[in-house]
Amino acid sequence: MNLYSIRILVSQPLRLILTVGGVALCILLMLFLISVYHGVAEGSMLYIRHNSADLWVLQNNSWNILRGTSLLSTGHGIMLRRLPYVESASPILLGLPAISAHGRTVSTFLVGYDPNEPLGGPPHIVRGRAIENDDEIVLDEAFCARMGIEVGTTVEMNDEPLQVVGISSGTNAFVIQYSFVSLNRAQIVAGFSTIVSCYLVKIRPGYGIPKAAKLLHDDLPGVEVFDHPTFIENNYREMQSGFLPLLFTIATIGAIVLTVILSLLLSISILERRKDFAVMKTIGSPSAFLSAVVSGQALALCMAGSVLALVLFFPLCQIVMTLTPELSPIVKIEHVGVVVLAAAMISLTSSFISLQRLRNIYALEAFI
Amino acid sequence: MMETIAELADVTKTFGTNGGRACAVKNVSLQITRGELILLLGPSGSGKTTILTLLAGLLEPTSGHCMLFEEDIAKYPPEKLREVRANRIGFIFQNFLLIDALSVRDNIALALQFAGRSRKNALDQAQKLLHSLNILSLSDKLPNKLSQGEKQRVAIARAIANNADLIIADEPTASLESKQGSEIIQLLHRFAKEQKKCVVVASHDLRLVEFADRVIRIEDGMIVEKRVRRDNDV
Repeated sequence: MNLYSIRILVSQPLRLILTVGGVALCILLMLFLISVYHGVAEGSMLYIRHNSADLWVLQNNSWNILRGTSLLSTGHGIMLRRLPYVESASPILLGLPAISAHGRTVSTFLVGYDPNEPLGGPPHIVRGRAIENDDEIVLDEAFCARMGIEVGTTVEMNDEPLQVVGISSGTNAFVIQYSFVSLNRAQIVAGFSTIVSCYLVKIRPGYGIPKAAKLLHDDLPGVEVFDHPTFIENNYREMQSGFLPLLFTIATIGAIVLTVILSLLLSISILERRKDFAVMKTIGSPSAFLSAVVSGQALALCMAGSVLALVLFFPLCQIVMTLTPELSPIVKIEHVGVVVLAAAMISLTSSFISLQRLRNIYALEAFI
Repeated sequence: MMETIAELADVTKTFGTNGGRACAVKNVSLQITRGELILLLGPSGSGKTTILTLLAGLLEPTSGHCMLFEEDIAKYPPEKLREVRANRIGFIFQNFLLIDALSVRDNIALALQFAGRSRKNALDQAQKLLHSLNILSLSDKLPNKLSQGEKQRVAIARAIANNADLIIADEPTASLESKQGSEIIQLLHRFAKEQKKCVVVASHDLRLVEFADRVIRIEDGMIVEKRVRRDNDV
């Protein structure tokens, strides 16, 4: 980065501060979106990842649980458990009932599971414990924060009181939060005592998972069978298709705004320094030097903006999470790297756009 | 015989298209040799600056030939012409045109960097030059903190930093008081004589006539008078 780039920027402190602030806000927006996206991805997927069944058994033509309906009977469970290669078949029933507490009613992504089975429960309990009977419920921590619920609070679902015995994490899917009750309770809420959504199957040692999947297909017609990685992929794709276009659009707008801000600023700077550039052309500046002046300014602004954005990001996340617990941004060093790299690319694009102005400055202008 | 630094041979320069064509310089022939200070004298709009820019290879003639360091400018590739300007020509502009964002020393060092010096070497060289011109105290100042006379001295320092063979000065005394103007032209005169360089000054300031080896009067783009100074004039 050449000295002249820095000196030009520093010579107008107010403009420098405003521009770095603008760049930082754009970078902040991109960082925030990417971290929210990963927070949503984590919150949506952790339950599925955590319950690492060998096979997921769903209704025919169903392929995910996030945005799909699958209904099987409890009879399927009886048949599954009789198969020689099945070690366990944990049923879960999913639904979208509302929970009422402190005069507010909010929908939740309800998971009914059998506490006596090995799979189906919440991924992490951060406070309290898992459910033990039908009058208990475990709620997501963001949901609890929003509703003012603590362990020991009594909430209502379908006019039935449930005592909150635990608070879970990794169960916040932004638009909705997971909650966990017993399978019996979920079936009461659904109004059918013999239905489940799917079974989480563990295969006995000695049977290969692909082989067991094929056998299960043959032995239990009318169901879909997925191994764990495929089922994660199915759900991840579904989650992305619902959420990514929105984030992508906002991120694109942010990137365009950043490009426009930088291009405008650099163009104005070039025009203001028109005489300087004309003089430099006259006295024999290599064209690469002049390009480096403009690119250097763009990169310096990008670097300063990135630093400011990073300084502001973590306190901002804390504020946002306090005000809106459903937003649980997750940021990793690689996300920061991607955003800063994207900002650097944007700044170079902006300088490239602005360089067109530089080409229209002629050495002769120094004599006018 | 003195070496020819630049030469215009029957040069005409017109601007604009057929509809609004203006002839800035018409059939000008001029030879510039080492060790002389030449004054292009004439009113505003007479074509003095156009002649300067033709001499520096910043403009191509409409007709005729411009020779720079014994080569036709038309044959110079753009990069070679840039190198010639960076290494062998110094420029002094009417309003000094120092770069405001850079210190005095950086302004001079920049010209040296364009001529291929490393930054460290350029800064050292700039420092020495400021010392030799007795303006070392201005080294770290920004141009907007300088008086008009100081600015012009720095502009001259920038022009001569690369040990240029040809100094092109456009109205170098226009923004200066009489005493400062006199000092500046004496400085340029001394540079031409002591360093055996060539200085071409475009001005309408008649006070400069006494310092010029040759005075060339320009009117309406044409040379109307050439006058050579006798040795005992100054």
